[in-house]
Amino acid sequence: MRGMWDRETVAALLIAAHLPIAIFWAWFGDAQGAIRLLTAFLVIAIWHLVFMLIRAQPPSLAAITTALAIAILAPEDLGALRLALGVSFGVVMGELVFGGWGRNVVHPASVALSFLGFGFPAFAWPVFDDPVAWAAIAAGTIGIALGVMPPALILGAAIVAAGGAAAGLLATADLYAAGLVLILLVADPVTSPGTTLGRWLGGGLFAALVILFANGWTGAAPVQAGIAAALLTSLAAPLLDEAAIALWVAKRRRRHGRT
Amino acid sequence: MVFHASGTGLMPDIPSPAEMPGIDEVVTEEAAVQTPAGSELRVTALVREGDFVPRGKPVACLRHQPDICFVAPISGRVARIALDPGSKLSRIVLFREGDARAEHDIRQADTPSGMRRLMQTAGLWPWLRRRPFGGMPRHDERPAAIMVMAADTRPLASDPRRALEGREDDLARGMAALATLTDGPVFLLQSKGLDLVENARDQTRIRKVICGARHPQGAAGIRLHQLCPAGLDTPVWDIHAEDTAALGTLLRTGILPMARLVRIAGPALREARSVRTHFGADLRQLTHRLVAPGPHSVISGSALDGHTAQWLAPRHRQVTVLPRDTGPVQRHWLRAALTRSATGTPAIPTAALSRAFGDTLPVMPFIRALGAGDDETAMKLGVLSLLEEDVALADYILSADGALKAQLRGMLDRIQREFAA
Repeated sequence: MRGMWDRETVAALLIAAHLPIAIFWAWFGDAQGAIRLLTAFLVIAIWHLVFMLIRAQPPSLAAITTALAIAILAPEDLGALRLALGVSFGVVMGELVFGGWGRNVVHPASVALSFLGFGFPAFAWPVFDDPVAWAAIAAGTIGIALGVMPPALILGAAIVAAGGAAAGLLATADLYAAGLVLILLVADPVTSPGTTLGRWLGGGLFAALVILFANGWTGAAPVQAGIAAALLTSLAAPLLDEAAIALWVAKRRRRHGRT
Repeated sequence: MVFHASGTGLMPDIPSPAEMPGIDEVVTEEAAVQTPAGSELRVTALVREGDFVPRGKPVACLRHQPDICFVAPISGRVARIALDPGSKLSRIVLFREGDARAEHDIRQADTPSGMRRLMQTAGLWPWLRRRPFGGMPRHDERPAAIMVMAADTRPLASDPRRALEGREDDLARGMAALATLTDGPVFLLQSKGLDLVENARDQTRIRKVICGARHPQGAAGIRLHQLCPAGLDTPVWDIHAEDTAALGTLLRTGILPMARLVRIAGPALREARSVRTHFGADLRQLTHRLVAPGPHSVISGSALDGHTAQWLAPRHRQVTVLPRDTGPVQRHWLRAALTRSATGTPAIPTAALSRAFGDTLPVMPFIRALGAGDDETAMKLGVLSLLEEDVALADYILSADGALKAQLRGMLDRIQREFAA
C-alpha cells in the first residue's frame, strides 16, 4: 500500500503547474529561447547523472522546472558556454551538493541566475510580453489547486505587491517580472518557508524586497531585482520558520501549559 | 498555525468488496493472549499447559506489577505457553472448550482504588494505552486526561456507533468510572450525529469532541495533540468506546464481555463482513471463507498501521486482507539507481502532507526533526503525543515504506531512555 505524494510526483505536478508559462513563453518567444532551454536541461541532466553515478543520488524531474526557470529568466544572448557555466554552478552548488532536490536550501535556478547576473553584467535581461506574465496567474492557480505551491506565500506576495502598485511604487514591468519570479522561483515548495505564518511573511518579504529594489536599486533590470529578492527570501526562510514555530510553541504553552 | 478542524484530512482509497449485511458472532477454535503492541513485558504465567480456563480468568500477570492480569478471551484449555527469553510473553494459545466464564466481585469498585484493582484483575488494563511512548499504563499511574474513542477514521474501519448500539447506558457508566481515575477531563471523541452519552453525571469533566470522516481526525494522537498534549509528567490515556462500554457492563454484571465488533475488509476478499469476536481471535478462521483465490496477506489492523499476524492483536478492531505481490522481481541497475538509494528521497511539503497531520502541527519542521533525530525540537512540536499509528497516514501518502514510523519509534525510545535515567 503506497500513496502517491512522493518526491517525483510533486516534481511532475510542479511541471504541470508551470506549463501555462512554458507554453506562452515558447509561443511568443524565438528559437533562442528553445536553445537556452535545451542547453540548460542538458547541462542539468549531465550533473544529475554524475551525482547519481558517483554519490548514488537519485535524479529528479525537478531538473525540468529548474531548466525552465533558467531559460525564461536568464540574460539574453549569453552563448552556450557562459550559460552552461552558470547552470553548472547553480545546480551543483545550489542543489546537488546538499543531497538533491528536497534537501536544498536555495533554489538552484536562483543561484544560477544570480551567478549569471553578477558574472556577466553586460548582457541584457529579458522583458516579457503580456500573455507570458499573465500566464503566471494561471500557473499559480494550478499549483495551489494541486497542493504543490503554498497558497499563503503567493497570497502574501500578491497583497503586498498590490499595495505597492496602488501606491505607485511598482511599474508594470516590475510587476510582470516579479510575478514570473514568484511562481518560477519563490513558490518552490522546498525552499520556501514550511509553516503557514512563515509563508505569509515570506511572500510579504519577497514583495517588499521587490518594491525596495525597484525604487532603490538604480540600473537594475526588473528581472534582476526579482531574482535578488527571490534569493534573499529563500535565505530568510529558516528565520521566518523559526519565528513562526516560536510563536506557535508560545501559544500552545499558554493554552495547555506544555507543548 | 491554524487549528481549523472540520474539513481537514484525507481519505485513502483502499478498495474492498461490498459488505454482507448482518453481524455474526464468532468464537474461534483457537485464540491467543498477547501483550499490547510496542511493549515487551515480563510476565508470570498463572496457568500451566493443559489447564482449563474459563473466559475472563487471568492466565498471566506482570512480574513486577502482579495486579495487572491478562485474561483468557475464550473459555478453553491452555495449549501452549510461549515465553521469549527473560519471561517476556510471546503468546499463550488456548483451544476452545466449554462455555464457562469468570465472575468478578464488583463490590470493590465503590472506591477509586478498588475500581483500579477491578480493572486490573479483570483484564481490562491492557485495553488502555498511554502516551507518551505507548503501551499500557503503570498500575498506579494517574493520567492528565482520558480519551474515549467512539470514532475511527482509518480506511475500512468499522463504525464504533454500530458496536455501541443499545449499550449507551454501559458506555455512560464506563465513562463515569474512568472519570474516577483522573483529575482531568474525559474526552469522548464521536462522529457527527446523535450524542452517545446524553446525560453525563459530571458535565464539566466529560467533554464531547466531534470528528469528521477524513482520516487523521479520528486518530487519538492527533486529537490529543490539539486537546490535551501528553508530556513526560502528564500522561494521557486512550481507550476505545466499546471497551469503555465493556467496563460499564463489568460494573453492572461482574462479567467482562470479550466480544468486540471487528470488520474484515480489503481488496483480496470476495466479500467483506463484520463479525463480533474477541481479541486474540484466529485470523485464518475469521477470513478463510471470505478470501479470493490467490496469494494474500492477512493484516491485523488497518492497511496503514496494521501488521501481518495470525492473531487479532489487542486493541485492533479491523482485519485487512491485501493481495500479496509475488511477481518476479526485475532488477535493473538503472531502475535501482532511480528508486532505491541509500538515503530515501526527502519529503516535499504539500497540502496533502499537512492534511495527513490534520493541519495540527508544523509538518515540515516536524518531519525534519524526526529525520535528523532532533529530540528537543520534536518534543516542542508535540512528538510525545504521537505514536506510530498517528504518522502512518503520512508514511502512506509519502510512500515512504514505514520510514517515519521507524524514526518516530526510535526517537520515542531514545527520549524514554534519556528521561528514565
